[in-house]
Amino acid sequence: MAPSLAVIAVFMVWPLAQSAYLSFTRYNRIQPAEWIGLDNYLRLVQDPEVWNALSNTAVYAVVVTPLTVVLALLLALLLNQSMLARGFVRTAIFLPFIVSMAIISFAWTFLLDANIGLITYWLGRIGIVAEQGWLADPALAMPAVMMVGVWKSMGFYMVMYLAGLQSIPQELYEAARIDGAGPWHRFRHITWPLLSNQTMLVTIMAVIATIQVFDQIQVMTHGGPFFTTETLVMLIYRVGFQNLELGYGAAVSWVLMVLVFVLSMLQFGYFRKRAVTY
Amino acid sequence: MTGPDGPAVQQVIDDFNASQSEIVIEPNIMPWDQLYQKVLTSVTSADGPQIIAMDASRVPQYAATGALATTDDYFADTTYMDTSVLPSAAVNASKFRGTNYGVPFNLAPMMLYYNKDLFKAAGLDPEKPPTTWDEFADMAGKLTVDSDGDGKPEQYAIALADHETVPMYQPFLWNNGGGVVSEDATTSIVAEPASIEALEFWTKQVRDNKVSPIGLAGADADKLFQTGKAAMEIVGPWMTNGFNEAGIDFGLARPFAGPVAQDTLMNVVTFTLNAKNTDEQKKAAYTFFTYWNSVDSQITWADGSGFPPTRTDVPADKLQNEYSAIFGQKELLENSQVLLAGVPNAGTITDDIFHPALQKVLNGKGSVKDIFTAASKDIQAQIDKG
Repeated sequence: MAPSLAVIAVFMVWPLAQSAYLSFTRYNRIQPAEWIGLDNYLRLVQDPEVWNALSNTAVYAVVVTPLTVVLALLLALLLNQSMLARGFVRTAIFLPFIVSMAIISFAWTFLLDANIGLITYWLGRIGIVAEQGWLADPALAMPAVMMVGVWKSMGFYMVMYLAGLQSIPQELYEAARIDGAGPWHRFRHITWPLLSNQTMLVTIMAVIATIQVFDQIQVMTHGGPFFTTETLVMLIYRVGFQNLELGYGAAVSWVLMVLVFVLSMLQFGYFRKRAVTY
Repeated sequence: MTGPDGPAVQQVIDDFNASQSEIVIEPNIMPWDQLYQKVLTSVTSADGPQIIAMDASRVPQYAATGALATTDDYFADTTYMDTSVLPSAAVNASKFRGTNYGVPFNLAPMMLYYNKDLFKAAGLDPEKPPTTWDEFADMAGKLTVDSDGDGKPEQYAIALADHETVPMYQPFLWNNGGGVVSEDATTSIVAEPASIEALEFWTKQVRDNKVSPIGLAGADADKLFQTGKAAMEIVGPWMTNGFNEAGIDFGLARPFAGPVAQDTLMNVVTFTLNAKNTDEQKKAAYTFFTYWNSVDSQITWADGSGFPPTRTDVPADKLQNEYSAIFGQKELLENSQVLLAGVPNAGTITDDIFHPALQKVLNGKGSVKDIFTAASKDIQAQIDKG
């Protein structure tokens, strides 16, 4: 226990305490941190960039979380049946998850490029012309990074659901069949309730991941065009490490931290009442 | 330095290390974005770099934090070199509030690259690129080609990048008598009538006449010219190798004149000093700067990179690389400006205010006047913040 506590203390507790302290200071790494009380927090409440980033993050999370979870569940249900090339399809869907997000994002950036992109070209052939390409168009950039986020992580959540599906006792389905329950009723009254542990885990993980989204946006759009895809973590990175306002960056990251904590607790409270043990 | 110019830098450094036994220069070459992320952490660490080469526009940001040492004594002390041979624009580019924090490492004026084959195919004289905005607008009509009629040209007249790029739109403002920030670096002038008029002309060219795609980063613009999908690009000497390797038959010319001036952008990279250096380390650095800016070293650098020499007294017939001479033309250098020299928060002004505002206009999110009036307030706030 002691070694892991030491690791947690050094790599989590200490940085957390440091960033909490920095969020009340003006700090640029060279000059000593200057205590400015609540100024950073007062500033962020009035900062349109923070509200823009918060709203982009919310939109991303609200679309990507349910979409990923529902697709993961549908794929798990489908690939839990016996079918041709099942192993191959499962692997193909899971594969993006184990590839680095940066590499995936580079690949998609090329595919969606306005002038040399394969997908842009194919869509152009069937009459869908994205004149500026997907990533430079303010209306399409966010859907594009969302799609990559869903595509990358749904395989992982699918595997978690598959594990859940396989732990459901077959007798329950047999009994239901004898009682005349159709596929929908079997799903609604057996599968779905008995998957609530997985649903809790998957949803909490997906919410945390989407609120902290960074990699693919950093690579694919850098938060552009004109900040339409800038999320909270992107903003923290920009003000902290590019504009060298580390105190302000720390304040914004504490807002993010509290947001993630509160949302996770709410979800945990909601799902705990529905937890199943058997 | 990560490109084909890297070996030329290494060559001069190797020559320097071999030329004497007291000082050793160990370079650590990395991409720019990585460098700027590392500057502060490495300068504050005990074992950080003693010399940092950075874009001159970044100097105020780091000088204001106290991370850099002044180089005023280098220019005052004539035992190192006669610094009057260095172009004054390059020397002044690293000044912040009257104090210099750099010594020129390299300079690169932007030139108009144009694709001769595409000019011929459009029925234009491949030896006569546009010299004014109006000529550009005339020729652009022939060089922008939408062959399948889907509204998206297959070939563009020019590749103009609007973010993550060497600034391409800002010189248009200068050439109409406007600019981003006043010469004394105290006032935003981006909403002045001359600036607005220039922006209106160019955003109209791009939005309505589709002379360039919208939303290009610098690398996209280079790619477009390199693949023959754009007939012109205004960029620095580092692209000559790439365009030659791609088999593009290109010509080089001074970028076309605006109604008021024909200035081009000059990119200056400058050597800066870690504020923690000892006197001895500072002297050693100065010895190296003198070696770097000597006639022989500059010939090695210019021949290897295609950049012009940093000094104005290198005889043109000594240069083997034709591009060094072209980019080093006196007329070009004398009509070059450094963007936002000595302006605090120049990076923020360009990346977080000017370029996003430009993209908003190009995407039809408002008029040039409204968007750039708002941007001007933000720019002024950044200047005042220091």
